[in-house]
Amino acid sequence: MIFLIEYNRREGQIVTSCEFDDSQRREAENARLEIELDLNRRGVDHEVVLLEAASKDALHRTHQRYFEDLTQILKSAGGQNEQADRGK
Amino acid sequence: MIRNAFSKTQIDRLGDRLKGGPHTESDLRLLDDYRRSFGEAYEAVVRTIRQRGEFPTGRLAKSTFSIVEKLRRESIRLSQMQDIAGCRVVVTDVVEQEQFVASLRTVFPGASVIDRRDKPSYGYRAVHIIAEIAGKPVEIQVRTALQHMWAEFSEKSSDVLDPAIKYGGGPSAWRSLLMGVSKVVADYEEIEETYLNAVTANEKIAKAVAELPEHELECRKGREIRKSLEDSARVLEEARATMERRRKKIANSLNAGISFLNEKQLEGQTR
Repeated sequence: MIFLIEYNRREGQIVTSCEFDDSQRREAENARLEIELDLNRRGVDHEVVLLEAASKDALHRTHQRYFEDLTQILKSAGGQNEQADRGK
Repeated sequence: MIRNAFSKTQIDRLGDRLKGGPHTESDLRLLDDYRRSFGEAYEAVVRTIRQRGEFPTGRLAKSTFSIVEKLRRESIRLSQMQDIAGCRVVVTDVVEQEQFVASLRTVFPGASVIDRRDKPSYGYRAVHIIAEIAGKPVEIQVRTALQHMWAEFSEKSSDVLDPAIKYGGGPSAWRSLLMGVSKVVADYEEIEETYLNAVTANEKIAKAVAELPEHELECRKGREIRKSLEDSARVLEEARATMERRRKKIANSLNAGISFLNEKQLEGQTR
């Protein structure tokens, strides 16, 4: 799946997001360009990123920062740390 | 119509204009065409990784925001950027990371390997492999779960606290915390590698003992193998105990971060 995300770095939050099928890569790239052009016209410096992942869960794991705040990231890191400890 | 052929000069001039800003619509369209020209190389790399049983998250092309930020921060030219297209693989531990990096070296023999584990970049530890397909570089980030945890923590800190944090700047207390976590994760992974290798060695010796005929158990060879098994068990136990202590250090550092954030939130300094 392809995920198009408009992210406000300073706020640390997603502004808009949408999903595309793997076969719709060209459409996803066109949509990204349109958002970037629009942001540029309005003088808004959001990050627009196109990511491809096996699933939404996989995307959340590899690009957690788009979806969680700093405290949530630290807490989930603590949880992973404990889990790995039990696994050894 | 998407263009695929660009001269180095044309791309570097585009980079210079983007670096200066403001951006014209034609420059953004040209940048977009340039990014899309990495599409086939990206697909080839991701396909090869999938064939090896990993499912990376791909970044089809670096965002304009990140490209401009990198051009302004570093002396790099746009045509030299090796991470326009890339993907990320998060593996369980350092032993798996070593094995996966070795397998990537085999499938991409000309690839360059940037190992940031021993020489971290402002605390960032990972292995980056730059594979080149038909003259187009594609960056493969290989991180362990703990290295990834640190990287996300650092990136988000840069987003919401201070963009300079990622490159060694920002509030000193937070920078110390990040560097401290990076160090304890590195210490942990060092002993983890020892532990995982000891597990493998221990299993091999235990198998050798099990296969030894009963009448040989008390002879010299049998005693030597049993002694090796005892030594190996001791190494394992010591490594396990050290790992536990280092895990606690990681947990303490993370908790310190949460306390710091709670205090800042009370002061209204974070979003």
